[in-house]
Amino acid sequence: MTAVWAAARAAVRRRRLQTFVIGLVALLCTATVVVSLALLDATSAPFDRAFAEQRGAHAVASYDPAAVTAEQLTAPAGVAAAAGPFPQVTFEAKDGAGPLSGPLTVVGRTDPGGPVDRLDVWRGRWATAPGEIVLNHPPDEDGFGLGPLGQTTSISSGDVTLTVVGWAFTVSGSADGWVTPEQARALEPSGLQMLYRFDGDVPTRAAIDQRMAGVTAGLPGDALLATQPYLVIKEEAAETAGVYLPFLGTFGVLGLLVAVIIVVNVVSGAVVSGFRHIGVLKSIGFTPRQVVAVYLTMVTVPATVGAMLGTVLGVVGANPLLVDTFRGMGFGEDAGVRPWVWSAGLLGVPAVVLLAAFLPARRAHRLSAAAAISAGSMPRRGRGLRVQRTLGGTRLPRSVSLGLGLPFARPARTALTMASLLLGVVTVTFATGLSDSILRVAALEAETGGQVGVRILSPDPAVPDAVTERTPAEVETLLRGLPGAETVAVAVTRQYSLLGDSEPVPVSFAREEVATLGYEDQLLEGRWTAGPDEVVATAELLNWRGLEVGDTMRLELGAERMTVTIVGSTVMGLPGPGGGVFAQWRELPGAAPSDYYYMVELTDGVDPAGFVASVRQADPGLAPWNNTGGDELTVIVTGFSTVLALLLAAVAAVGVLNTVALNVREQRRDLGMLKSIGMTPRQVMTMLVSSMVAIGVIGGLVGIPVGMITHRLVVPMAAEAAKVTLPGSVMRVWDPATLTLLVLSGVLIAVLGALLPARSAARLPIARVLHNE
Amino acid sequence: MRLDGVRKEYGETAALDGVSLEIRRGEAVAVMGPSGCGKSTLLNMIAGLDRPSSGEVTVHGERLDLMNETRLALFRRHHLGMIFQFFNLLDDLSALDNVALAAQLTGTSAATARRRALELFDELGIAGRRDVYPAALSGGERQRVAVARALMNRPALLLADEPTGALDSKAGEQVMDLLIDLNQIGQTLLIVTHDERLAHRCAGRLVELADGRIARESALDRV
Repeated sequence: MTAVWAAARAAVRRRRLQTFVIGLVALLCTATVVVSLALLDATSAPFDRAFAEQRGAHAVASYDPAAVTAEQLTAPAGVAAAAGPFPQVTFEAKDGAGPLSGPLTVVGRTDPGGPVDRLDVWRGRWATAPGEIVLNHPPDEDGFGLGPLGQTTSISSGDVTLTVVGWAFTVSGSADGWVTPEQARALEPSGLQMLYRFDGDVPTRAAIDQRMAGVTAGLPGDALLATQPYLVIKEEAAETAGVYLPFLGTFGVLGLLVAVIIVVNVVSGAVVSGFRHIGVLKSIGFTPRQVVAVYLTMVTVPATVGAMLGTVLGVVGANPLLVDTFRGMGFGEDAGVRPWVWSAGLLGVPAVVLLAAFLPARRAHRLSAAAAISAGSMPRRGRGLRVQRTLGGTRLPRSVSLGLGLPFARPARTALTMASLLLGVVTVTFATGLSDSILRVAALEAETGGQVGVRILSPDPAVPDAVTERTPAEVETLLRGLPGAETVAVAVTRQYSLLGDSEPVPVSFAREEVATLGYEDQLLEGRWTAGPDEVVATAELLNWRGLEVGDTMRLELGAERMTVTIVGSTVMGLPGPGGGVFAQWRELPGAAPSDYYYMVELTDGVDPAGFVASVRQADPGLAPWNNTGGDELTVIVTGFSTVLALLLAAVAAVGVLNTVALNVREQRRDLGMLKSIGMTPRQVMTMLVSSMVAIGVIGGLVGIPVGMITHRLVVPMAAEAAKVTLPGSVMRVWDPATLTLLVLSGVLIAVLGALLPARSAARLPIARVLHNE
Repeated sequence: MRLDGVRKEYGETAALDGVSLEIRRGEAVAVMGPSGCGKSTLLNMIAGLDRPSSGEVTVHGERLDLMNETRLALFRRHHLGMIFQFFNLLDDLSALDNVALAAQLTGTSAATARRRALELFDELGIAGRRDVYPAALSGGERQRVAVARALMNRPALLLADEPTGALDSKAGEQVMDLLIDLNQIGQTLLIVTHDERLAHRCAGRLVELADGRIARESALDRV
């Protein structure tokens, strides 16, 4: 065994508390770093990974079958891989497909594999015979996210009915559904689909256009109908992830900062407090280089063990959160922690530890043996003397005033401790505000649409008993008659085309009661509808379509045309994608039963779950659900906030623990003397805890406004990404009680961190301490 | 102050082995003996800094061996004063604040404590050094400040552990004179020392320890 290793091993054994603290800090910091980096990475990586795994198509091209033959498309030039041509039809799904009604892009493919766009068939099987269809949806094993869509067993258009035999997911967004090529040809295809993957990077639309120009060079000029670049899907995915990005990024950056500060503070403190030991080693013949090696080994061993455990802890903590977050977007399986994040945890934190130890160790390298010994034991030149003198003259108990003066003796250590405490308070403040805002958004949702929603199940040949025989009016009567129903409101939602826009607009023709179920109360602007040519739009719809209150829209459904004026905007719309508009109720003879949506407001004290059960019992052909549960975003964001805030608060508390432990170690002689002249154990604890409480108060007072500003900036960024307008109440989350509690959170972190070493200091055996001196 | 059959063990080693000793009010007693004979352990027992494995320690009528840590601290605060070989002053406090500290721990206000400290500084001849920090004081001055701190709460018993051990001869003489003066005005003294000259100048009785036991007790004629 080398002398360096022997001395380092002995030092590790002798300084068990310090070794434990370095290991614990490395563990918590590594866990924080891994979670933080995983969050930052997750903002773009899941799509890229899913795209690579599926060999996603850089371009999905539609050709005119009248202008080009399949043979002309089979050997494209300048591509890495191509799939197709596949017959492509626009299938007008009618009647009972719920969210699937309207035009669907259906493609005929023999199998889900191939060189490009390898589909993930995550439920059921692939379509192998005419009359079968596989629908596109992100994987959702428990079917919860599918909602009414999950109950779709067939779709029809005219006299063609296709049975849903499976569900698949395309990250390229190449189709809404797939059938056999024979079935597609029987539906008279309007296009031929080609899927292209190009060599190298194609990061811009211009690059894709350039490549496509090469591909179509030899084809007739009007052959190419449309090209959908993969960037469209990537941007859509980024938009969804964009809601999370501000939260995740903020927590990630805070976590990294706290981790680095704590590691530097702990390790440099350990080296500085070991100067005397360094001097002794030099005096017995260790070369300066060997001394530095001893110290680096001493701190690296526990740091490496902590980093390994912390990496595992971080991965275990981050994986389920990330997978849950991105599952709804279809990238759940690709959202795990990537190897580079593992590597950063395993190597990055020990590297920071080494660097943090190396800087003070270099000073020890330069010092002579005598000077190093003196640096560890000679009387210090007093620091913060004026502060101590002023505090000594105040009316504060002397143990408190002595404690308040302690931080001034080590200003650099105090600054680092305060910085970590401050960031801890910023995190707690931001997490508190964020959770409160999210809960307020959830409350807005809960305040609208009643506690129970009911739809009429679509006809399903596989489950004939599940079809209600009641007319929509009879369903309404049934619901009104059930015990506990106070208000029953009805709306019929139909998809209208908006002139000048390819995306349909859901128009909900709502009875008067609908407005009273919270929607009118949540008007952001304008007023509720007063006539048949007026609509109230959700803010989400206005933001997406670039519309404003006062604008008019020309809507079409088949032969029906109407021009409506937007007279108001609301926060919430009826459940469904993209938000929509509310219009006044009118009879719609062409509406399918599944277009009806019933909202039930219950009398006080009635259990929504019990009411849902009684609806099911009364008519199994109805699909009721409880509207009062939290949504996915609420659960994910509050989950992330809580975990990260607790983790960073714990790291900050360990930083305080380390600072107090170092102070106690350096001031053993003073503590022994104070106890010898009559300082009680309680006074010793008071003194040491007071020394950190002041830092906690300052950290709280500075950290809270920073956390509030962060909240003020980040929440609107997420709202903007989601294209929603938040009412002012969502941002007004601060009140005196909350702020007081947040100041106390800084104090609490400081006290919790200081208690353990303060307790051990109170129990210091005076005789031994003074005798050792 | 009375010790009855005090024994103190560290593992299998007995640092004190059945020591009985009595010191009366106003006495000055010196404890001497070779290194490792138990002098410091004896001082720790009397100061309540350590507990005996067996036996009784009674100071100012109270059994220290039965007290918990807090009561011991309060007892030291009010009834004992201690002087150490290496002074043990707080580097961050001025000489005056170091002395005032002992009174402030009892709840005395800063102003009153500083007034009392100034009186002591006058009496000990270091009034001019009151605002100086320990690092800038000479060894003799530091020990005088330490003595002032020990006297701050008017202790019943003043314990001195090698009070001249870290001082040059001139400073040592000054401290000796100070201790003699204190004893002459009625201060009870217990001095632990290697220095025969100190013992003979300041103490009226000498207790010699060997292997944790009292080897000999003798009256001294002060030089």
